[in-house]
Amino acid sequence: MVSKTEESQLQQLENQVENRGGGAWEYLSLVRKLKLRRSDKVLKHGLTILNDPKKRSALGPDEWTLYEQVAIAALDCQCLEVAKDCIKVLQKKFPDSKRVGRLEAMLLEAKGSWAEAEKAYSSLLEDNPLDQVISMRRVAMAKARGDILGAIEWLNKYLEIFMADHDAWRELAEIYVSLQMYKQAAFCYEELILSQPMIPLYHLAYADCTSAIAQLTKGRNNEDKEISGLAAAALEKDYKQSSPSKLSLLSSTLRSLKIQ
Amino acid sequence: MSNGGELRYVIGQNAYIKLILHALKHKTSSVNGVLLGRLSGDVVEITESVPLFHCSQIGLLPPLEIALIMIEEYYSSQGLSIVGYFHANERFDDLELGTVAKNIADHIYRYFPQTAVLLLDNKKLGALRNKKDTAPVMQLYTRDSSRSWNVANRITTKEPSANILLLDFTSSEKWNDIVDFDDHLDDISKDWLNSELFK
Repeated sequence: MVSKTEESQLQQLENQVENRGGGAWEYLSLVRKLKLRRSDKVLKHGLTILNDPKKRSALGPDEWTLYEQVAIAALDCQCLEVAKDCIKVLQKKFPDSKRVGRLEAMLLEAKGSWAEAEKAYSSLLEDNPLDQVISMRRVAMAKARGDILGAIEWLNKYLEIFMADHDAWRELAEIYVSLQMYKQAAFCYEELILSQPMIPLYHLAYADCTSAIAQLTKGRNNEDKEISGLAAAALEKDYKQSSPSKLSLLSSTLRSLKIQ
Repeated sequence: MSNGGELRYVIGQNAYIKLILHALKHKTSSVNGVLLGRLSGDVVEITESVPLFHCSQIGLLPPLEIALIMIEEYYSSQGLSIVGYFHANERFDDLELGTVAKNIADHIYRYFPQTAVLLLDNKKLGALRNKKDTAPVMQLYTRDSSRSWNVANRITTKEPSANILLLDFTSSEKWNDIVDFDDHLDDISKDWLNSELFK
């Protein structure tokens, strides 16, 4: 989950790098730290560093981390040749590495060789049954193949072991929402709210789920007019300030929803 | 009353391009949008579109409901109404109209039986660069009195150069300027009408 300050820091760095103002390594490190998916930009700027021997050696031991980051970004952008090259470099430097083995299996995944990737992951898991990343790849593969029920099954198994993984709970909640299984999604959000009550996104998503459930079961319930009235007033104030051209639209929408 | 089997659908290039740019902006999630226009004889003219959501909570009802009310209200003053729905699946090769899309489509069908449901065809979109094609890179679905949505081949773009313009915008990464309803809900100063987009 990205905070507002982190988001603006990221935006700033991104603009700087895109406009050739330097700071590529800081940008890439921030993306890595926040675990964001910005594969096209990572690929572009990562390769600029890697293809320049001076910049590469300036990274020191971080060079290998960058190879890994760029390999994964390349897989995401379907630039399989680039990914293969990065993985080759890493294989040479770290032969017999499980981490590199993971990348090789991800390459199989990206190629669509599902059975081989599955075999590779299973054998990696035999040696390392508590590897979170590989267990997650299983879920990702199921999802990529369109096997949503399989993804749910793997994800539930994963959460039995790694029940503190918030990203996994979120992923499961989102899958349930896409299948309109709102009760199950609400359960996931409850887990998230219990462990991270200070994140507003979970409360909002939970509210959306429960109101969807309520709407589907008994139609609109207008009992709490006071709270909805207050919310409507607050919304109108916001719109007056930040989006005045849409204020009248908002008012009539609230009227037709009988909240005003 | 027009026989649904003979209706043609024509989509204006602004509406068309907006939807695809939206899908390109959010490559890793499903996106949807609403189509606006009017029924004119035996043609459904789709003249405008509003990109709706891109978050993975795309199946949630409350934001959708509010969006539809606001959009319908705004465009009715221009004589346009909601005539269809656009959906792009999360996965590249998924060309199936999923349950979320079908439910929203059913909802719109109740108000406009000639509803056009457009599903983005990623393979066709990808092929545009190598093969010049004027056909829209979307699959059209319509519904008759049965409950199922069926593929139909009756959609064209109003301007034959729509795909060329689309490729142009794609290479200039114009999708960065697209604002959808999700963005508006995050920051209400963002304009889901995208009125400055094609200026």
